[in-house]
Amino acid sequence: MYLRNGKIGIFDLSAGEPSEQEFSEELAKDDVSSIRVAERLAAEHGEDSLVLGTGLLTASFVPAACAGILWSRRGLVPILGHAGFELKMTGFDFIVVKGRAERPGYLWIRDGMMEFVESPWTSASDSWKRTDKIRSDQGDGKIQVLSTGPWGDAGKQAAQLVVDYWGGEDKVGMGSELGKRNLAAIAFRGMGEIELAEPEKHFEDSLLLIRDHVFRLGKSEGLSSFWKGADRDDFRKLLHRTVACYGCPYPCRSYLKVFEDPREMRMVEKEPGYLHYDVPALEKCFAYGLSASDATISLMKCARAGVEPASLLDGLLASGSKVGIKEVEAAAAKPSDIKNARAMNFESSFSDIEQYRSTLGLGVCPRYWSKIGFNFELLASYGQSAYGSPIGPA
Amino acid sequence: MIRQRAGDILKLRIEPLKCICCGLCEVACGLNRDSVLTPMTSSIILHIEDKSDYFGLVLKSKSEGLVVARPEGTASGQQASGSSGPGAKPILLREPCDLCGGKPKCAKACPTGCISTEG
Repeated sequence: MYLRNGKIGIFDLSAGEPSEQEFSEELAKDDVSSIRVAERLAAEHGEDSLVLGTGLLTASFVPAACAGILWSRRGLVPILGHAGFELKMTGFDFIVVKGRAERPGYLWIRDGMMEFVESPWTSASDSWKRTDKIRSDQGDGKIQVLSTGPWGDAGKQAAQLVVDYWGGEDKVGMGSELGKRNLAAIAFRGMGEIELAEPEKHFEDSLLLIRDHVFRLGKSEGLSSFWKGADRDDFRKLLHRTVACYGCPYPCRSYLKVFEDPREMRMVEKEPGYLHYDVPALEKCFAYGLSASDATISLMKCARAGVEPASLLDGLLASGSKVGIKEVEAAAAKPSDIKNARAMNFESSFSDIEQYRSTLGLGVCPRYWSKIGFNFELLASYGQSAYGSPIGPA
Repeated sequence: MIRQRAGDILKLRIEPLKCICCGLCEVACGLNRDSVLTPMTSSIILHIEDKSDYFGLVLKSKSEGLVVARPEGTASGQQASGSSGPGAKPILLREPCDLCGGKPKCAKACPTGCISTEG
């Protein structure tokens, strides 16, 4: 089968055992949307399942083919950066996680294998330390880590899943979905391969599309090219570099350095700043009067703790507290029952939520494709050379 | 700026500060080798230290050995300092760049001009 691995992994945390089922060509063709497949798998394996998966076009050469998903009854979380790509290369198209582990640990997925690794150390560590230690223990700095922090461990509704080091994707409290399963993280590394129906044609055609987009969009200035709120002096002055997700020619991610000169190109400080792509969190920071520097530090504190920043800031304000770095740090250090703001980040790329689901379900970035103008027929036609047969419906 | 020569005709040039970390070069290289989507056989790989926003490219070339194109500059040779990062290790076991027989796919796929050809 082209563009797919043909395999679904199932991990029952209660039993501590993995199993597999075939993702047949017939099943795959029934539904090209990873979201609908995830919903179907949850119906089959239990509505309380967590389903991780990639879209049909994820990892292909069509522009911004970076997206995977994490689905639960609580909601839907896009998996962006390089995580969607790496997930597709693990050898699984979807992973279903069921049950609850007896002791804390993380799921480690690679080379068509899954294992649960106990991690007693995670109870005392924030999400950044989890990513650092898992990468160090498994000996590979490119391992993608979806982790909870203390807020997820405590099962708080404002908990946020952190992708490697950054928050921004999870606005539904998915961090607590991992926490309630004693799952400190899901880690994966892609070392497999995906076959294409017509490799050369897919490559050449996709490059024409990328070139057309680059010509139309010009050079990206990072987040400010997508959101005017980032087009302010204090934000621009801290900008180090703009960073793309897999296959994206027009990045929306801006890394701001606050603990060293943003012009420093050598690796000096290990934790000099934060990667911004969380629009509602920054919007809230600026609305509450934080500078770009203070907003950066605040988001860093929230990501480490695994708490959704807009929720935390709203919680501070609701409690009558001042909103500043010290207050954010103190609140982030004590998981509480504040409400999840259910802010929308990538979801707000389109006014129509169905278009958001269509792009994400296909495996491409909603933010990028809303910028360039989402056209399912066009994407499907470019994907056809990779898939080998017509793609649809969305 | 790094230059990789194929005879005296073609040169591959890398300007690391133009890199946006999209990874298309890596996958394009794998496609040329195996006609599949994979980053595992590429002669060019992303070197990423994401927490500090430090990234660039590592190329295994025939003429210069391991070429590390880092944000602050470049170095080449089998013992290139800084090549011990996690992304650099497996590249030592891979085939060196053959410039795709004269039409490097990494340069073709690069959307920013970070990798380009001369000659």
